[in-house]
Amino acid sequence: MAELGRAALVVCLGLSLYALVAGSWALVARRRRLAVSAQNALVAAFASALVGSIVLVVALVRHDFSLVYVARLTSKELPFGYTLSAFWGGQEGSLLLWLLVLTGYAALVVATSRRRRSELLPWVVPPLALVAVFFAFMLVAISSPFETQLAPANGAGLNPSLQNPYMVAHPPLLYLGYVGLTVPWAFGMGALLARRADEAWIVATRRWTLVAWTALGVGQLLGAKWAYEEIGWGGYFAWDPVENAALMPWLAATAFLHSVMIQEKRGMLKVWNLLLVILAFGLSLFGTFLTRSGILDSIHSFTESSIGPWFLGFIVLVLTLSLGLLFARLPLLRSRTRLESLVSREATFLYNNLLLVALCLTILWGVVWPLLSEAVRGEASVVAGPYYNFFLRVFGLPLLLLMGLAPLVAWRRASLRSLGASFAWPAGTAAAVAVVLLALGAGSSPVGLLAYTFSAFVLGSIGYEFVRGTRARRSLEGGTRLQAFSSLVGRNRRRYGGYVVHAAIVLLAIGVAGSAYDTVREARLDRGERLEVAGYTLTYLGTTERMSANARELRARVAVERDGRDLGIVEPGKNFYPVEQQVSAEPAIRADAMSLGDLFVILENSNPDGSVRLKALVNPLVNLIWLAGLVFLAGSLIALWPDPAEERRLLERYALAPA
Amino acid sequence: MTVGLLLGALLALAVVVYVAAPFLREPEAAVDRLAEPDGLELRRLALIEERDRSQDALRELEFDHRTGKLSDEDYRTLVGPLRRRIADARRALEPRGEGRERVRAAG
Amino acid sequence: MLALSVAAVLAVFLVYVSFAGGGTPAVEPSELKGRAEVVVLSGQVVVGSVQTSGEVTRFRLRDVKGTATVPVTYAGGLPDQFKAGRDLRVNGQLRQGVFVGEPGTMVTKCPSKYAPKQRSS
Repeated sequence: MAELGRAALVVCLGLSLYALVAGSWALVARRRRLAVSAQNALVAAFASALVGSIVLVVALVRHDFSLVYVARLTSKELPFGYTLSAFWGGQEGSLLLWLLVLTGYAALVVATSRRRRSELLPWVVPPLALVAVFFAFMLVAISSPFETQLAPANGAGLNPSLQNPYMVAHPPLLYLGYVGLTVPWAFGMGALLARRADEAWIVATRRWTLVAWTALGVGQLLGAKWAYEEIGWGGYFAWDPVENAALMPWLAATAFLHSVMIQEKRGMLKVWNLLLVILAFGLSLFGTFLTRSGILDSIHSFTESSIGPWFLGFIVLVLTLSLGLLFARLPLLRSRTRLESLVSREATFLYNNLLLVALCLTILWGVVWPLLSEAVRGEASVVAGPYYNFFLRVFGLPLLLLMGLAPLVAWRRASLRSLGASFAWPAGTAAAVAVVLLALGAGSSPVGLLAYTFSAFVLGSIGYEFVRGTRARRSLEGGTRLQAFSSLVGRNRRRYGGYVVHAAIVLLAIGVAGSAYDTVREARLDRGERLEVAGYTLTYLGTTERMSANARELRARVAVERDGRDLGIVEPGKNFYPVEQQVSAEPAIRADAMSLGDLFVILENSNPDGSVRLKALVNPLVNLIWLAGLVFLAGSLIALWPDPAEERRLLERYALAPA
Repeated sequence: MTVGLLLGALLALAVVVYVAAPFLREPEAAVDRLAEPDGLELRRLALIEERDRSQDALRELEFDHRTGKLSDEDYRTLVGPLRRRIADARRALEPRGEGRERVRAAG
Repeated sequence: MLALSVAAVLAVFLVYVSFAGGGTPAVEPSELKGRAEVVVLSGQVVVGSVQTSGEVTRFRLRDVKGTATVPVTYAGGLPDQFKAGRDLRVNGQLRQGVFVGEPGTMVTKCPSKYAPKQRSS
């Protein structure tokens, strides 16, 4: 069946090339049937990619070790779910996933654009096709999942640390996000190619951007939860290049989500929006490149990687073409509208954008610094946590404050007096919270205290918005408070969904700031000995061993007490995987309802004399981070909820005039 | 082994047919011109966007005033020019207009 | 407006860099001779050189593409993926001919590329 897989990928490449060439020719020569044919080619490319994907899935499920890829990433003992997830476990499979999602999105774009009779569709096809050509080419010529060999008796198995439910969901979600950012970019380029300066491309891609951004956000949180539970060092984010790879496009996309609102309201920032969408897409490609090419393990491994140089070349090509096109159309995009006041909602969105992009670029600088320093000084130099955390604070704290200020400010111009009046309640709440926190000892970290004060301000401001809005709705329409509330949210789902998302970000900030108050203790313990950490008393009782489907599990039994109360037993340990020849840490995590945090216990060493080395951390407020993920998702769903009246209006505006 | 190649060939055939479909369906198309908005329609589109934008802004202005974000003074300053802008945009759309436009402008 | 903010960002950036320095040098064993400052050493664990006594692990680290080696001692828990023949990075200093690794800074190169590197706790 490997031939079918290879054939499907070749067909996909051929179709993408056709879509690119025929699609472009159709634009130059203004041929309708050719344009439709090119669109069909994109849809057919999805079908071929799907066939190829099914072949791979079937091979995985049947443990067909004659495929090198299957033998490398699975074994007969691997549980079924992980066997499936091995699809994206290696380089070749993840490229296929990219292609599958890309062509799937492209087919969806064609279908929905046709239904809306959008004039932009023929112009969007060549950019989408260009990206498809690249990935199909890589899969056919450079990195194919369908290479065959003489089938060994068993496969090598999946890296145990990847055998975790979060790691099953994390890559597909991230890819839905990365690839999703291709769509707004393609529409932006399409609009430029068509010499259009109106907002059709933004309106068409609003939902696409929001979905991609949400997927990228949730995907990163899942990755953080995985790192927390699986890698088990007590933290969830370490500014690793692979982690930054997903954060940067997400930050750029966040800026883009906000600045398109300014273009919609005031018609400003057309060039800025196009730059942002190019940045977001470029970073998305760069992120895939970083994660897959190994360039940052060392510059030497870069040239060994089969796909590294190709990816870099493609990114340069995309950036050159995009920026060149933008530059060529610059005269068209000039808008006459200017910012009327530095104290207006537009202005706060602008500040938000600048801070987000600044943070994104400083992270980018930190990521490429080792390569730059090696190229310039002959010696590589790396930056780590302190660098990133510094800039996260410098840019992140003002961003937090802005989230609270923006809702209080009106569009166009805010009168300082009414701003002052609106300011009172949220600011008062924040001050009260600050006083309480100081009393509770939060002053040990000034940055943490500041973050919490701002967070309280934002939550107060959002709450105030909901209250004021409901009151105003009620005075206009009557009815109960609940009716007024749902009418308020229903009439403006994007804004109020956005406020819920902001609340989620605040929860995230509170959870992250909690790490400023972490406690860590470690010790070597003989049986019966104790370890004290932040009010908890841990007593080491002994070790046990048991066998699971594919691992030998070693656990240390530790009794937990606090304030004299017995809180049960936790079992930190390690798993030994004979097939994969690897060890994985299995920390014990016990959630604490009071502090919304965790007691995190790690078995560092188990010594032959029966003693162990334990490390225990108390991470207050860390569970807010995961809660924030749920609130984030809820807010996005509210913002995404379709509004039929608005849809109809936009459809009429942009649909082709009847022939 | 050949099953895979056979299926692959079938796939290739199917997609070629699908891609050629527009030409097969209309071997001699009367109008093969790619539809795109001309300068006139683009100008009209810009005006519609301007009008819609101003109408939305007016609605927000009213709501902001009602919720207290905007003082009476600022409201009075901003409302006039905004209403004028909407009226201008509507008037500019009329001459091209179908009856639909006039009805929408009145409503 | 844009120009002002770019200037502000650069200013913040330059202030930070001048205080914190330009990062930690990343070297391989062959480049370690005579350097006394804190560096990030990367290389491959020489097969057969790993010795554990209590909680201290001793091994030799080799250039990934070379033959120069250096003895390393590391106290504390090793990351899961630690194994002879694997590539890793660790912060530390050369002291009297032995590279002393800073506990908690060892990071192994992850075999499957999309997961962040394994760090020691």
